[in-house]
Amino acid sequence: MRPIDIIWVCLGGGAGSLLRWGLGGAIDRAIPARFKFGTFLVNVTGAFAIAYLSAALALGWQQRHGDLVSSLVLTGFLGGYTTFSSMQLDTARMAMEHRHALAALYLVASVGVGLCAAAAGVALARA
Amino acid sequence: MGAQAIFVFIGGGVGAITREFLMLLIPGQRGAFPLDIFTANVVACLCLGAAFERHRRGSVSQEFMLLIGMGFAGGMSTFSSFVYGIYSEASSPGQLGLSILYCLSSLVVGYAAVWLGLASGKRLRRA
Repeated sequence: MRPIDIIWVCLGGGAGSLLRWGLGGAIDRAIPARFKFGTFLVNVTGAFAIAYLSAALALGWQQRHGDLVSSLVLTGFLGGYTTFSSMQLDTARMAMEHRHALAALYLVASVGVGLCAAAAGVALARA
Repeated sequence: MGAQAIFVFIGGGVGAITREFLMLLIPGQRGAFPLDIFTANVVACLCLGAAFERHRRGSVSQEFMLLIGMGFAGGMSTFSSFVYGIYSEASSPGQLGLSILYCLSSLVVGYAAVWLGLASGKRLRRA
């Protein structure tokens, strides 16, 4: 990895995190539910975007730096935009409130709909 | 709002770089378990759980939570690469088992890491 890749990853990660914070917060305010639609929708749209771009540009899923799109957009921006940790914390908070069915639904729906979004991204790129 | 955004941006940028360095330290091999993204996601869950608990108890500021929780942990963890990795492995011949193992182990260990983070946040006297 070259020094320039570090800069791209950092800038992308910062910008993606800002968008997650702003957009996720706005969605949660618009849809005030125990199911955290903010993190859910951010993650699903991010999964679609990484799949679409990787398939369109023929990048392997483990090829995550070395050129501008990989470093800045895929690893930096989309990595910073989507979050695995907030999904898990949201799930734990639902479990803390003894809403175990909702917690399980949230986790399964995040991964299930995320996978469908990734499949749709690949299909669209190849269409 | 403006100052808070700087905390999210810096935390997210540094988090994304940390994930990238983990990927260099733990080189991923084609067709093998993606230990690099797995590790970044699990460490971020620990970190977010601890930061959330410290903030809930009022022992760290909102800015700390934005820098470490929203920014650093969110930027280090990635849902997009996680889901796209599962999808890509599942659609490669002979890799379905690995894909399922990666998915389930990430969810289980990540969830345990959030709880461990929450528990350690309760024990820390000062942050």
